[in-house]
Amino acid sequence: MIQRHQRIVFWCLVLCIVGMGVLLAVERQRGRERIEALAADQTPLDAPTATAETVTLDLANDDDGTITPASRQIALPEEANARARALIEHLIAEYALPGSPHTLPPGSAVAEVFFVPLPLVGYTTDPSSSATKDGGFRSTEPVAANDPDPLQPKQPGGELAVIDLRSTFVNQHPSGVEVESLTLRSILGTLHANLPQIEQVRFLVDGQARETLAGHADLLRTYPVTDTTSSANRANEGQSN
Amino acid sequence: MTLTGRAQTATQPSLPARQSTPAPSSPPSVPAPIPFNRRVIVLDPAHGGIDSGSQISDTTLEKDVTLALAFRLRSLLTARGFTVVMTRDADSAAEPDAAGSALTLDDRAGVANHAHAAACLLLHATGSGNGVHLYSSELDAAEGQPTIVPWLTAQAAWVPQSQLLEKQFAKAFTRSGVTLVASSASVRPLDSLTCPALVIELAPAGDKEDSINDTDYQQRVALSIAGALLFWQNQVQPPARLSTASSAAANQTTAGEQP
Repeated sequence: MIQRHQRIVFWCLVLCIVGMGVLLAVERQRGRERIEALAADQTPLDAPTATAETVTLDLANDDDGTITPASRQIALPEEANARARALIEHLIAEYALPGSPHTLPPGSAVAEVFFVPLPLVGYTTDPSSSATKDGGFRSTEPVAANDPDPLQPKQPGGELAVIDLRSTFVNQHPSGVEVESLTLRSILGTLHANLPQIEQVRFLVDGQARETLAGHADLLRTYPVTDTTSSANRANEGQSN
Repeated sequence: MTLTGRAQTATQPSLPARQSTPAPSSPPSVPAPIPFNRRVIVLDPAHGGIDSGSQISDTTLEKDVTLALAFRLRSLLTARGFTVVMTRDADSAAEPDAAGSALTLDDRAGVANHAHAAACLLLHATGSGNGVHLYSSELDAAEGQPTIVPWLTAQAAWVPQSQLLEKQFAKAFTRSGVTLVASSASVRPLDSLTCPALVIELAPAGDKEDSINDTDYQQRVALSIAGALLFWQNQVQPPARLSTASSAAANQTTAGEQP
């Protein structure tokens, strides 16, 4: 026969199990309601505009070394940095399509695009101010950079775009003077056509400076952003001469 | 570094500054003309050694194609009376007195600049496109060469001459029926050269990538280049050397063109 104190322990344990089950069910329901509430309010930061807009992509052709403008209907984000990045990604995606005249590997090419207002301004310590008693720095004052030409904006509001390419894209890029130059000129021309505030471009790869794109085209210099389709006209002149 | 050894002893017909002593009464601000050898050509077969360049096909590397084309060009140019300076004539570009250390791109530019050549040709090869791709510097042309030449924009004073040479080559390739793409590009060390300089990129003759190794095709391209250079030696003119005051202004301007 079961003793009385064993029956008391048994029913206590049953009570605890039922209580824990109820508690678990209540907490689970609360968690679900919290997630649903968050999902209802959350909007993506870089959500594209509802309507697609017409943009110009400067497309390269390896066969004749030309760059020709082409219109596309693309939904782009509002923010300028995200817009520049999306433009370049769409451009590279065009080159990854089968039958492209300038074949590039598929996948994301750009990690980030940063805008720096021109002229570039650095900071220097003010020699007239004294260091703080606790060994802190002297006061600083902004100074214009020493380079006269490329660091000055041509138009008010001109900006330098720093394009941080992904190494996965760069390492798979075809090697050659023409194919590398066309990729860079295509990017520069597309930015020029759609984001006129960008006057100059510098390239990084995974956040680091790199000598060349794939062994040829210089990635260390600052490129002026111009209409690169005019270069195609020059190539045609060379052929006709 | 592999040189033919004749560049340093080449005749320098356009060196009036070394041939005559300036009169004491001449104004000190007049700069000496730039040393220049009309019959010296620099060939730079790109890549070499561990840097094989692009993989043109399963069995063809860019460094081998550029070297083969350079050998063809050297034979044709030497036969036409030119002195040819090559930055490498073996797989690896190496300095003979530096325990076989490889030449950097800047070293190659140094070799070319010391030759004071009528033309510096950077030879490349690719599996994409067709025919020959010609490129001059993307730098803006400068009025003259400053006394102290900025390394990254040294080509600026020579850009007009480089563009003229590009047109000469374009005519020669068109006459030979070679498909041509002519443009400008930023390829190191092109912008550091103080001579009329071009990048010549050899692409396959047809659809097959291995056609780049076709001897008849390479010979046709080399003959076009050699023929154009024969005319070029009488047309090339070195840029004026800027006076000290102008140099300071030019240096300040061109220093900003590249960081």
